[in-house]
Amino acid sequence: MKNTLGIVGLIVVLLSACSKSEDGGTKPFFYIPDGFPDPVYQFQNNPVTPEGFALGKKLFYDPILSRDSTIACGSCHQQFVAFAHSDHRLSHGINNLLGNRNSPALFNIAWFPNFMWDGGVNHLEVQPLAPIGNPVEMDETMANVIMKLKRSNSYPALFEAAFGSDTITTQATMRAMAQFMGSMISADSKYDKYKDGKVNFTNAELSGLQLFRAKCESCHKEPLLTDMSFRNNGLDANFNKDAGRAKITTLPQDSGLFRVPSLRNVVLTYPYMHDGRLEKLMDVMNHYHSGIQLSSTLDPLLSTGGIPLTAMEKNDLITFLGTLTDYTFIHDNRFKE
Amino acid sequence: MNKSKLVLAGLCLISVSFFSCKDDKEDPAPSSGPGTVTLDITNVAGAVNVDETGGTYYTNSSGESFNVSKLKYYISKVQFYNVDSMMYEMPESYFLVDESNQATTKLEIPDVPAGSYTSVRFTIGVDSTRNVSGAQTGALDPANDMFWGWSSGYIFYKIEGKSPASSQPDSSFMYHIGGFKNSNSTNANREVEIDFAGESLIVNGAREAEIHMLADVLKVFSTPNTISIAAFNTHMAPGGNAILIADNYAQMFSFEHLHND
Repeated sequence: MKNTLGIVGLIVVLLSACSKSEDGGTKPFFYIPDGFPDPVYQFQNNPVTPEGFALGKKLFYDPILSRDSTIACGSCHQQFVAFAHSDHRLSHGINNLLGNRNSPALFNIAWFPNFMWDGGVNHLEVQPLAPIGNPVEMDETMANVIMKLKRSNSYPALFEAAFGSDTITTQATMRAMAQFMGSMISADSKYDKYKDGKVNFTNAELSGLQLFRAKCESCHKEPLLTDMSFRNNGLDANFNKDAGRAKITTLPQDSGLFRVPSLRNVVLTYPYMHDGRLEKLMDVMNHYHSGIQLSSTLDPLLSTGGIPLTAMEKNDLITFLGTLTDYTFIHDNRFKE
Repeated sequence: MNKSKLVLAGLCLISVSFFSCKDDKEDPAPSSGPGTVTLDITNVAGAVNVDETGGTYYTNSSGESFNVSKLKYYISKVQFYNVDSMMYEMPESYFLVDESNQATTKLEIPDVPAGSYTSVRFTIGVDSTRNVSGAQTGALDPANDMFWGWSSGYIFYKIEGKSPASSQPDSSFMYHIGGFKNSNSTNANREVEIDFAGESLIVNGAREAEIHMLADVLKVFSTPNTISIAAFNTHMAPGGNAILIADNYAQMFSFEHLHND
């Protein structure tokens, strides 16, 4: 069993194309970082090629995906903040319309079994359909997107180069985007280098890591820094504003549950929570320490009323969270617009 | 005219059946290879054909007047039966019937093995695998506007129109029905059996073989569950009232006749 997985992993790596990295060597677009589990997305069905990646990148940064050609994926997913939306509480669509959720960061998404704060999207290849079709985001139909791509001067040749046919389909469009977004891997933070024995942590960072493992890791599981689950972390006593996961499952016990986000790059991805209500990491610490709202679906891990934290512990935790910032990733030229 | 044609077709069918049976046993004719079967669907509202231009109003079992501006649904997993034995299932059989494009109301099933069939079965909907496997092509292309982006999965049945009974400002009603998960009883896939009422569909090489069926939107409002536009004019998610409508569309098809020349 383990062998089979290894072989599959090897095939994935062999199938993946490489790109020139800054040090002049070549780095595969997609790879499994040390210690990471096998990805959920099956790249063997959609091997990353330089042409497919380039097409996905062009689509990601092209406002042609929105109804009035004003908003691109890259508008709300900016590389310098790990592809979150800098300083925006809620997603910001065409005509300055606001959504009701915070635009999430994008990295390591090939490991995600589902997407969005409520997990409503079940596959990487259909993820872009959500913002494209949302009336307060891009407000466009896929049929129109395909029509616009077909009419363009540049796209048919790019599809031909990527997929061997200039026939532009939804599947080819989504697979190119999956190649680009699925290759966004963040695994080169100070925390990763520390685990690899390449750098040392300061005392505060070390204390923060120990606190993290004792008090946070049950949900923000290493190495992805999320266990992918949906939980009610005590933000509200009722869920009239947003039922969260229950919107998808229609199950009352899922009311007020939201995806546990990865904490990698968390210093960059403010503001926090599904609706961006918490501005600073200290606000988040204070929430878990003394802000937990009781409700019937509150996560059992928080049902004692919160996480006891001293002022020093809060500071050390925040210092540790700083080690999760991956400067290699946010400066990686391959993802630059 | 139609009736006499039917009788004639019936007579032909009987004579051909006798003939081919006898023939098959002794000396299989070279032409007795697989053939194409056409499932010909007519969308109706009771006794009249659906008029998708919206110009015609119908009355549902709640006494509500309504018209139809959009009517689309998926047919999949088409199987041919002889009595209780499944003889053939068309691989990758996914069809999107769209009343605004009449060519899509004739479903062509190629490579059906030569033989005699007494019923056809199919699913209204799309199996769970195709709902969770990423961007699909052909009839299942998400660009066909039958896929929920916010809660991944196919819309199996979509009907839209207007009704004075609707409380919407524009008097519209919209039912988008889907859901593939068995958990929480939100699966809206429904199997349908069309029995040929004692007749047999003979498939033999290039012979024409057509199954004519009616799909009645009035039944979608009435059988077995009464759907009132005044009670709810919009449903666009899996679960809840979707299941009431799915139980109804399971009953919307009826057998009309075979063409077997």
